[in-house]
Amino acid sequence: MSEHHERKRRRRLLPALALIPVLALVIAGCGDDDDDDSEAGGDAIKVGFLSTCEGAFGAFYEATAGGFNVPLINRGAEAVSDVPSDGIEGGEIAGQPVEVVGYGCSDETPDVAVQEARRLIEQEDADILIGPLSGDEGIAIANYALEQPDKTFINGASGAQDTTLKVQAPNFFRFHTDGAQWSAGVGDFAYNELGWRTAAVIGDDYSFPYTSVGGFIADFCAVGGDVVERIWPPLGETDYSSFIAQIPDNVDGVYLGIGGEGLIAFVEQYIEQKGAFKPDEVIGNLFVDDPLVLEEIGNRMLGVHTSGNTAGDSTEPQVEEYVAEIDAVYPEVAEAAASVFVYHYYTAVEAMAQAIEELDGDISDTQEFHEVLAGIELSGSDAAYGDVRLDDNRQAISDNYIKQVVEGPKGPTVQTIARIPEVDQTFGGLFTPETPAPDRQNPECAEADLPWAGQAEPVDFGG
Amino acid sequence: MSVAPAARMTPLGWLGVALLALVLLLAPLIFSDFFYGVLLTKALWLGLVAMSLIFLSSYGGMVSLAQVGVFGVAGFIMANLVAADGGLSVELAPWIAVVIAIAAAVAVGLIFGAIAARSEGIYFLMITLAFGVMVFYFFGQVTQLSGHGGVNNVELPGIIGNAVSDPAPLYYISLGVAVAAFLAVRYLGTTPFGLSLQGIRDDPTRMRALGYNVALHRTLAFGAAAVIAAAAAILSVWYNRRIDPGSVSLGQVIDVLVIAVIGGLYRLHGAWVGALAFVLLDNYSRSWTPEIGSVLGADRFNTLLGLIFLAIVLISPGGLVGAWEQARDRIRAAFRGRRAPPSGPVGGPQEPIDRGNRVADQPGLP
Repeated sequence: MSEHHERKRRRRLLPALALIPVLALVIAGCGDDDDDDSEAGGDAIKVGFLSTCEGAFGAFYEATAGGFNVPLINRGAEAVSDVPSDGIEGGEIAGQPVEVVGYGCSDETPDVAVQEARRLIEQEDADILIGPLSGDEGIAIANYALEQPDKTFINGASGAQDTTLKVQAPNFFRFHTDGAQWSAGVGDFAYNELGWRTAAVIGDDYSFPYTSVGGFIADFCAVGGDVVERIWPPLGETDYSSFIAQIPDNVDGVYLGIGGEGLIAFVEQYIEQKGAFKPDEVIGNLFVDDPLVLEEIGNRMLGVHTSGNTAGDSTEPQVEEYVAEIDAVYPEVAEAAASVFVYHYYTAVEAMAQAIEELDGDISDTQEFHEVLAGIELSGSDAAYGDVRLDDNRQAISDNYIKQVVEGPKGPTVQTIARIPEVDQTFGGLFTPETPAPDRQNPECAEADLPWAGQAEPVDFGG
Repeated sequence: MSVAPAARMTPLGWLGVALLALVLLLAPLIFSDFFYGVLLTKALWLGLVAMSLIFLSSYGGMVSLAQVGVFGVAGFIMANLVAADGGLSVELAPWIAVVIAIAAAVAVGLIFGAIAARSEGIYFLMITLAFGVMVFYFFGQVTQLSGHGGVNNVELPGIIGNAVSDPAPLYYISLGVAVAAFLAVRYLGTTPFGLSLQGIRDDPTRMRALGYNVALHRTLAFGAAAVIAAAAAILSVWYNRRIDPGSVSLGQVIDVLVIAVIGGLYRLHGAWVGALAFVLLDNYSRSWTPEIGSVLGADRFNTLLGLIFLAIVLISPGGLVGAWEQARDRIRAAFRGRRAPPSGPVGGPQEPIDRGNRVADQPGLP
């Protein structure tokens, strides 16, 4: 054994470990500097933004950041560039400076969402967090909110029902409707307008489709329909043929809760096995609405109905004003103004700003701020697709829309045909904190009194 | 042929350990709550998962991708056995749940081990990867166990209190578990079992010829690694107060492998070096948004991590620890040029994991 090798073996471990604290000290030093900087900002209201920039929803990051920035830009802030996440400068609400402490980036997993929320709140010292984007993240953030009672959380775009219905964090607010509410009225529509009596549902096997499809089941069964088959292909499935084979031939209609790229594969295989879509026999959830998906499969889905809480074809003045506000700063985002990702982040920040204005910029009394925020009602161009107010669980009550895929001048698009006014999260008491969360078997198919049964208002934007 | 590290410790080495121990013990006083409570604690339990992998690879020559799967089994069982939102919420006392979770994880680890121990090389990698993915899909599909949106609000043992307002108890528990696991594995390497395991790593055929039961040794090593992965899982559930299938996804499997490789796949302490580097990079690269985001695009963190990973693997196959050792050797060689070389012990003790910096030389992955 050479002397060189012998020496090499010695003291290998410890000096390496000693590097850790040195590195840590350096980094912690940097961290302290950050704190000093932010304190120099005086009494600025610090807001953190949380969305996803990685994973399946990563493509919507700038859209959410755009929706987040515009209400602040309307109040005097300036966009740093035409990339929304580059941030804004000089924001002010009721004379109080507003500082965006960070544009957080999750990857749609709850663990990373909480980690980012902790960074924004515990390291960057945010008073208010706007986010997150997707369902399971929302449940995790609402639970984290319980541990941070002095901070304020306003949901970004996540649509899980449990987030507000079950967790009920007193400092967590959601100014848009949830995944089940986005299906409100469409069961009633299927039963009374399309004449369905029996239906099969098919959706991806995870929480959001459970909620979204659950909304349809609750709605359809409430007015007397019967859901005879519930089919849940595993998430990420690309070969749906065996699941399509399970759809009974003798049902009146099929409700689709399959998302993203899976939907494109599903549509092709469905047409191969069952023939072309018959418009009156298929309803899709809001995944079908997605402009990117429509581009791919819209031609094969003409006439199919969908539902959701925005109406992309709306020509109402408050919608035009809302779109113009975004277009003035971020033209690329404005094209997707009706996207739930832009709209929901927009209403979240708008509600926050109005609550701060009501308190003349002084939110030092967190309790008071939360009370004011819970009482905020959005209307006009602040909530262009329907007035928003909150229920006792700080969950939005707002309108829902039934739409149809139609041929547009630039390819397939959606046309809004009906509005369901004032949809509440509980479906008139059907969903409660005690009822099981929507899953493969729940909700049960049962008749019930829906507040909006027969209340749908026909809408025609002349599209 | 092996000896505990303390026997070879020099004064400088002791100084390093003392300094490190001091900094780690006083971390709550030195650092901000966020830094030690969120980042250091996470690095400690993430390092534990990586160490269970490094233990198998350095002592047993088995690069197992199943460790996150074992981690998931322990984490989900623990989370289901205590009071929580989602899952079974059996409401057992937290410490009883811990014991059951570790026992179950060891059982699963032994089963995984018994199956995987008979394969080698790429087949071994594929089998263990399959275990990891299987656990992910199992908990993804069985929502009775994984809840609607994960198992949330998991009850913590009283001693931890509220880890958000006072992160010190959980930090010290994590530190204690990490140190204990490190020392235990070092000790295990000096036992007859550990020595024969290393023999199997170096030449399984010869060990078999000598009458050793190769598969049994490997299986038992999996059992031991499962204890470490399970401890990490319990710390992670306490840390996050939640677990969901995404916590044990393929992404996490890759992250743990990356941590082990960044740290140094054949150095136990490399696990924590890699984990700390990973956690710091993760946290600070996200706060550098948008400066980095404008250049690297939406997947900035993965891109950055990938580049650093590539750089480390190219410069030093032994990871950060290997890079440090190379640099130290060069400095020492430069010094030696100026003075007479001190006489070292001849034929002295060997470190149990003396694999040098040349990953290509590693047996176990023929």
